[in-house]
Amino acid sequence: MAGVNHETLVVKKPPLGNLLYKYRYFYLMAIPVVVLLLIFFYWPMLGIRFAFSTYKLKHITSGAGPDYSTGFGNFVALFKDKFFIDSFRNTVVLSFWNLVFSTVFTVIVALLINELQHEWAKKFVQTVLYLPHFLSWVVVASIFTLLLSAGADQTGTDLTTVGFVNAIFMKLGFIDHPIAFLTTKETWRPAWYIIQRWKETGWGTIIYLAALSGISPDLYEAAEIDGAGRMKQTWYITLPSLMDTILIVFILNLAKILNVFESVFVLYNELVYSVSDVIQTYTYRKGIQGNDYGYSTAIGLFKSVISLFLVTGADYVAKRIRGYGIV
Amino acid sequence: MLSTQFSFRKGYRARAVFVILNAIFFIFMMVCMIVPIIKILSDSLMNHTVYGLKLIPDEINFIAYGRIFSQESLRRPLVISVYTTLMTTFIGLLISTIGAYILIQREMPGVKLFGYMLMFTMIFNGGLIPTFLVMKTIGLLDSLWAVIIPISLNVSNLVLMRSFFEGLPKSLFEAAEIDGCTPIGIFFKIVLPLSKAALASIGLFFAVAAWSEYFHYVMYISDTSKYNFQYKLRDLFADKQEQSEGININVKTLQSAAIIVSIVPFMFIYPFCQKYFMTGITMGAVKE
Repeated sequence: MAGVNHETLVVKKPPLGNLLYKYRYFYLMAIPVVVLLLIFFYWPMLGIRFAFSTYKLKHITSGAGPDYSTGFGNFVALFKDKFFIDSFRNTVVLSFWNLVFSTVFTVIVALLINELQHEWAKKFVQTVLYLPHFLSWVVVASIFTLLLSAGADQTGTDLTTVGFVNAIFMKLGFIDHPIAFLTTKETWRPAWYIIQRWKETGWGTIIYLAALSGISPDLYEAAEIDGAGRMKQTWYITLPSLMDTILIVFILNLAKILNVFESVFVLYNELVYSVSDVIQTYTYRKGIQGNDYGYSTAIGLFKSVISLFLVTGADYVAKRIRGYGIV
Repeated sequence: MLSTQFSFRKGYRARAVFVILNAIFFIFMMVCMIVPIIKILSDSLMNHTVYGLKLIPDEINFIAYGRIFSQESLRRPLVISVYTTLMTTFIGLLISTIGAYILIQREMPGVKLFGYMLMFTMIFNGGLIPTFLVMKTIGLLDSLWAVIIPISLNVSNLVLMRSFFEGLPKSLFEAAEIDGCTPIGIFFKIVLPLSKAALASIGLFFAVAAWSEYFHYVMYISDTSKYNFQYKLRDLFADKQEQSEGININVKTLQSAAIIVSIVPFMFIYPFCQKYFMTGITMGAVKE
């Protein structure tokens, strides 16, 4: 390589024309993906303008199109709409408590899995605990609708017609009459929190178990030499090492706090709207069932804008904690 | 090791108690996870009204299963589920691999824009109603494509695929290029054969998502002959018509059997494919 001039080693960017030609096949491949993205993601974004209009079924059937004289009227109506305010409150309450229960419970279960003595026991427990995550919400809702059923016979004298959970509770003497958990206002939310934990706790531990396996064994050895017991080791080494992961997961889920939908949609019903209706289910009922496209788009936009701020905020915090963001 | 851990000698006592309590805790957890499914399975095999605490069926009766596979209104949704699952897995993998292959072309003019276009959809979207109106405008309402395409166009799966492709050795691409291989040749002869694990994982994600899909049917499909099995399952709980059709069958038995039918395909593959399901988390740190 004696004759090589140093200047030729500097990589020059080829002219644009050459690059376009070189990558011609890639542009060809990109076309279908871009077209689908434009149709299914970007075209709907243009529909956000309906939020500032009155747009109902009659505007479509008459061919008149949306009536933009409404302006911000939909948003004014939004803050006076009792059902919307209820749904907003329910969304925040359900997601927030679910997030708290999920964090606490998942971390504890992960720590306990980590304490299991044998690899096979760990593997087996994990396999069983992950399983419900893969059942669809429709299946989970169907299972629990059957198990939590109060049966046709409300007197509760006949153990054989009530659902499994009520049957156990009555057998153990906790209750005298079967409770219709999913159609009673007082019990719907607790039932929803528990079903969420049943489905997602195991799967949630994966990320913590990965973090736990990354903690250096030296730390524990050093602590042992210093005379720290298992409890102290957990408190002073394990938990602080997990803190970053816990924070990141918490923040990522906080950003998605308004997105709760399918789990509620398959489990709620008219009798418990006041404690279970969330923004997305309300949007669905207003827009798809009520054909009030303008107003329901306004609800959706309100939610999307808050979510956008939450995600951007979470991205910023995540970057501060672990050096890279979430999007 | 075991003997010291389990020893009740002084000093190890607290540890031994903990180990036992921990084992009891996990046995309890596993019972909580499994018993609901066993209960449904056992109820699906008993065609009489005795349920309650009975966990072991006192008769084995496949009448409800027979019904699901013979009655047109229950069999068709099952066929639709199989069809959309296969289609979504294929189209989803096609879109993710092509998109990911484009994204790793660092020098390609416009590739950054392509990346931003994808990423932006993850943080903002038009919302339920504008998307519905677009589907209506382009005439996809009541078409299965309104279900297949949106699930196939999954940006997080595409990004996952990209992180996998980025791990492939660059020198292989260069060598193939020098040998005169076209980008499409490289894609089929090098990228895909080396990505079997990623294809299996992400293919499973698509399959599970498509099989479990419910919401897109609620939104876009009102033609009863195009419902999938998940929708039909939900329908079985909402309307009691199904039970009055034809032979006498207990509605709870039918509901239980439908639940079992919709989880059985998954139960068969889950124990063998668990590692593929987990790659999503270990590979790209993308949390569902």
